[in-house]
Amino acid sequence: MLDDVIQELPAELAPGLPRGWERVWWPPLHYALAVLVGGLFVVPLAWMASTSLRPAGIPAAGGFEWLPPVLSLANYPRIFSALPLGRYLGNSILVVAVAVPLTLLTGSLAGFALAQLPARLRNGLVGVSVAALLVPAMALWITRFLVYKAIGILDTPLALIAPAIMGTSPLYVLIFAWAFARVPRDLYEQARLDGAGAWRIWWTIALPLVRPAITAVAILATVAYWSDFISPLLYLNNQAYYTLPVGIQALQQMNRTNWPVLMAGAVVLTAPVLGLFLVAQRFFFRLGR
Amino acid sequence: MRAVGRVSAYQWQLLAMLAPYLLGLLALVGVPALLAAPIAFTRFDALSPPVPVGLDNFAEMLADPQFRSGLGESLLLVAVAVPLRVGGALALALLLQARQRGFTLLRGLAYLPTILPDVAYALVWLYLLNPLYGPLSSLSQIFAGGEHEGTLPGTTPGVWLSNPQAAQVAVMLMLLFTVGEGFVLLLATLQEIPPDLYEAAALDGAAGDQQVRYITIPLLAPSLLLLTLRDTIFSFQASFVAAVIVTRGGPHYATTYLPYWIYQNATEFSRFGYAAAMTWVLYAITAVIIVLLFRLARRWREVQYVG
Repeated sequence: MLDDVIQELPAELAPGLPRGWERVWWPPLHYALAVLVGGLFVVPLAWMASTSLRPAGIPAAGGFEWLPPVLSLANYPRIFSALPLGRYLGNSILVVAVAVPLTLLTGSLAGFALAQLPARLRNGLVGVSVAALLVPAMALWITRFLVYKAIGILDTPLALIAPAIMGTSPLYVLIFAWAFARVPRDLYEQARLDGAGAWRIWWTIALPLVRPAITAVAILATVAYWSDFISPLLYLNNQAYYTLPVGIQALQQMNRTNWPVLMAGAVVLTAPVLGLFLVAQRFFFRLGR
Repeated sequence: MRAVGRVSAYQWQLLAMLAPYLLGLLALVGVPALLAAPIAFTRFDALSPPVPVGLDNFAEMLADPQFRSGLGESLLLVAVAVPLRVGGALALALLLQARQRGFTLLRGLAYLPTILPDVAYALVWLYLLNPLYGPLSSLSQIFAGGEHEGTLPGTTPGVWLSNPQAAQVAVMLMLLFTVGEGFVLLLATLQEIPPDLYEAAALDGAAGDQQVRYITIPLLAPSLLLLTLRDTIFSFQASFVAAVIVTRGGPHYATTYLPYWIYQNATEFSRFGYAAAMTWVLYAITAVIIVLLFRLARRWREVQYVG
């Protein structure tokens, strides 16, 4: 009977909603399902954090254990004494500190130029950029190794930073180009009539208007360089230049089964990215309008 | 007025701004991509000059069991993981697109595993799957009621990484949680579907599942296609990190995917010529996938117009 009443309701009251009984059981089920699925994605992270707090020497849990019986932060100093992870951490910070500003510089310059070039040239260059994006990164690993060797930056920190010269990824350049293309053309034209050159227009007029694009590329590039495991793995031999991701991998090779220590390493590696994500998450996950 | 065909000072400045990007693109993408072609016909250890060997590398490839199994495992991984990843991202986007209390947080949570650095993510899985303390090894016991051994054919609890099939499943499982980018892309596309389409369909008596099938999916198709393409390339690469850290290519080469085998040949055996020849195969596969997907897209569009 209830079903009939619901069927009678005009569709305008709830456009897009399922009809009939579905309307009664679906909302709570939807909510429960959403919470369950959202929770599922946190579980690996939660386990990583809780295991990192497990003191050495207490017997293994041997099953599900959300929190160890005793909590301890002792694993964190331990990872820094086992390996020169402090140094690797410094290297990682250095790579990010050089590569990200350089990426913003080269990426925004190229994006600005791309947005203003004559249409034919622009379309050609956008095509080249998209093609470059489609080349699988691992198809370039081996021969990039040879290029780095030829220009003498193999086994130096420059091998980790080199992509910043091209704005790190054609995607970032395209993000900038789209942002600059949305700036009203009159603003550029007016400045040109006032005698400003391209460099001045880029710096004083265009850049301040594309702050969201700068933020987005800065976040993406920071995460990319901070997390980059493959470049140091392929292009570095000298351990003095190791960054944190390869350092954590080395830690794993030394302590194959010391999970609390390894998870502490994983937490240290994850924490800065997680912090950035929490800052940026409002920006990314709130729905528009 | 500027003469046609002449480049103005302003345009020279624009070209100068573009120079680092073009130079980098040439040195880091163009040259490496093209270099694979000549090197594939040589024996090259990166120390002494390359020695031309004709088609030897390709002949060796045909006879190399590791190459054949690596290729097969890579294709299997992509064939299983990519549809699950794209489908999973779509399901997530449909489930979490509601504008209800708490859903902004839930959307953020679904993205979490995607932001983890590769090494941290791989280590977490190594821990989850490890036979002694791994929470997932006990999970397999729970599923089996604690009496029978294993949930997957031919496995016993906690041997995720010592059984070839289980190790392959484990790598696929790893790939299922990092669908955040696709999820956000589909979420954004869903937002762009005009609500009146659904209202009109509801007036015509279309139920929720019919609306998804006849409105949502067709309008999402371009994004789904893009995502499938990107995920195919991504899955190849993600399999490499999983193979290096979690499975070390084993057991019994079961997870020595093609990229890992290429990497081993180049870095461990200094066989750059052979590695370059196998890279050709990688390019060929990528090209075939791109062409197939676009063909599929075109045919699908024709069907749409006819229907």
